[in-house]
Amino acid sequence: MNNKLINLISKVMNISPEEINDESGPLNVENWTSFNSYVLLYELEKEFNQKFTMDEAMDVKSVADIKRHLKNHGIQFD
Amino acid sequence: MLNEQSLQYYLNQAQKLEKKSNSKQIKIGVISSYTITGLAETLQVKCAENNINCKYYVGGYNQYSQEIISQDSALYKFTPDIVFLLLDTRSLFGNIFYDPYSLNFEERKLFVKEKFEEIENLINIFSKNSNSKLIISNLTIPSYSSFGINETKQEYGFHEMISSLNLKLNLSFREKNNIHIFDFNSFISKYGQKNIFNFKNFLFGDIQIIFDYIPYLAHELLPYINAFLGMTKKCIVLDLDNTLWGGIIGEDGFEKIQLGPEPPGNAYYEFQKFLRVLKQQGIILAINSKNNLEDALKVIQEHPYMILKEEDFSCLKINWSDKVKNLKEISKELNIGLDSIVFFDDDKINCEYVNVSLPQVKVVNLSGDPSFFSEILQNMNDFDSLKITNEDLKRTQMYSEQIKRDELKDSSISLNDFLKNLDINVTIKKSDTFLIPRISQLTLKTNQFNLTTKRYQEEDIQRLTNDPNFLVGCAQIEDKFGDSGITGVFIVNKKNSNEWYLDSFLLSCRIMGREIEKSFIVYIINEAKKNNIEKIIAEYIPTQKNKPSKNFLSECGFLKHNDKWIYDVSHSLKLPEFLSVRVENE
Repeated sequence: MNNKLINLISKVMNISPEEINDESGPLNVENWTSFNSYVLLYELEKEFNQKFTMDEAMDVKSVADIKRHLKNHGIQFD
Repeated sequence: MLNEQSLQYYLNQAQKLEKKSNSKQIKIGVISSYTITGLAETLQVKCAENNINCKYYVGGYNQYSQEIISQDSALYKFTPDIVFLLLDTRSLFGNIFYDPYSLNFEERKLFVKEKFEEIENLINIFSKNSNSKLIISNLTIPSYSSFGINETKQEYGFHEMISSLNLKLNLSFREKNNIHIFDFNSFISKYGQKNIFNFKNFLFGDIQIIFDYIPYLAHELLPYINAFLGMTKKCIVLDLDNTLWGGIIGEDGFEKIQLGPEPPGNAYYEFQKFLRVLKQQGIILAINSKNNLEDALKVIQEHPYMILKEEDFSCLKINWSDKVKNLKEISKELNIGLDSIVFFDDDKINCEYVNVSLPQVKVVNLSGDPSFFSEILQNMNDFDSLKITNEDLKRTQMYSEQIKRDELKDSSISLNDFLKNLDINVTIKKSDTFLIPRISQLTLKTNQFNLTTKRYQEEDIQRLTNDPNFLVGCAQIEDKFGDSGITGVFIVNKKNSNEWYLDSFLLSCRIMGREIEKSFIVYIINEAKKNNIEKIIAEYIPTQKNKPSKNFLSECGFLKHNDKWIYDVSHSLKLPEFLSVRVENE
């Protein structure tokens, strides 16, 4: 599941999966623009078949936040 | 329904694009009142698929007015060929979008008038500041109204305000060649407001088109680019069995094939009706089918529900030859490039064979359910041009006449006798308002007999026509089989009192091989003589396609000097005796 998430972020932000860790986010990834964060949210909803609320979407500041919200939606990470 | 890739796919592809050296070039600008990121990248990838190098500029979020008004804006500095301006009803209407009935009937009318004038004013400023084409989206009519089921009872109600504004846009810019209204409202209807818009995306980032619908929007905007570059498809080549009718004529027989107003034959009946409409707009139809000629012709000539008649097809290849060989022959006989052809066939192997052997031909695989054929055709964006001319409407007739001429060619003794028999009349005309659209169209479309392949939009031809330093003209060709219309163009730059420069010189492929080009080069030489000009300077700029015009200048007595060709006006060039030439208004 972790790989699936990392690959998705890598595709949207156009960076290699190795560059992504739990701390990655808009502040330290150059391509993590506001537009790309909308695209990421949209792709996450499609990929994990979930709908995020506005509050959840606004709360995302890092990969760790994404994982936390996905867990709340019942998605398990190893 | 058309199945598009996701926006993510296009964004990733855009990162990987490599510039190809032999591609056509286009520069597009995208300005908008809402978040439209991803559209330009998608258009760029779609262009690359058509071998077009696309550069783009995307204006800042909701900065479209500033981009248009400021003469030194980044948009203008980019010098785009085409600018897409995407507007939304919500931001244009402001509070009135939410509360249209806070205005009374008279005030609503006035409001729409003012909004229209705002847009009109912007468009006029744009036209003054830029030579680019401007494509403006019209406004979406939301399905919601605060009046609910009573909305339609309101005089000049909310929905009517928007329709009326859209209508004003259409009417005001119908005659302007550089302004086109894109029917965005129909786009939204086609794919559905419920699919395209949701409040979460809108509230989160003013995203008014859900990401995966951006590629569908790009699909609808692409024809503007293709038409601008003269890359519109000209001809549909059709298989017969299981394409124009259900079943196999050679096996099922005349009575058993499926074709008519009842299911399942109505799928083919409906498909033929849409094909006929395209034919009426100037798309050439041809047949490429493995069949016994008599069997197939019997259906085409005698079947009561055959919508397409024999005369609707400009070329019939009904035989047991290879389909690739037939396609090559169709291209040759109609004198159009393989890249102007779309081929429809229900047989996957045939489709693949053509795909591999003739990659220039666009192949449409009709192996699926025939009830989708009409939809597949309607979703194609390959046939649009920016203007439909009289020549387009008469095209099939002109091509059929061409086939008759070719038949005569077979039976004639010598080429000279054949040409004499044709009674060719050439009328040379100077460019005027009525001729400008066709002259521009020919410069955009003509590839083979074209010395310089310079492409001119209508605005350019308009400008050159009004410029006393240019001579812009064209030739209309008639012969005993009919009128081929305006099929030759020349543009002369009257550089100075000694020499003229042949800026453009072209002949539609339809009338090549009859030395008609001599008639207007002789005209230009005579005009030069009258004006005491000493030399005419010409150029042959080779392209992948213009070999047929390679020897023209030397054949006319031009002498090569470095990379230019020079004609000494004191010499004379004889007009072929089989051409009868008249200069209009002389």
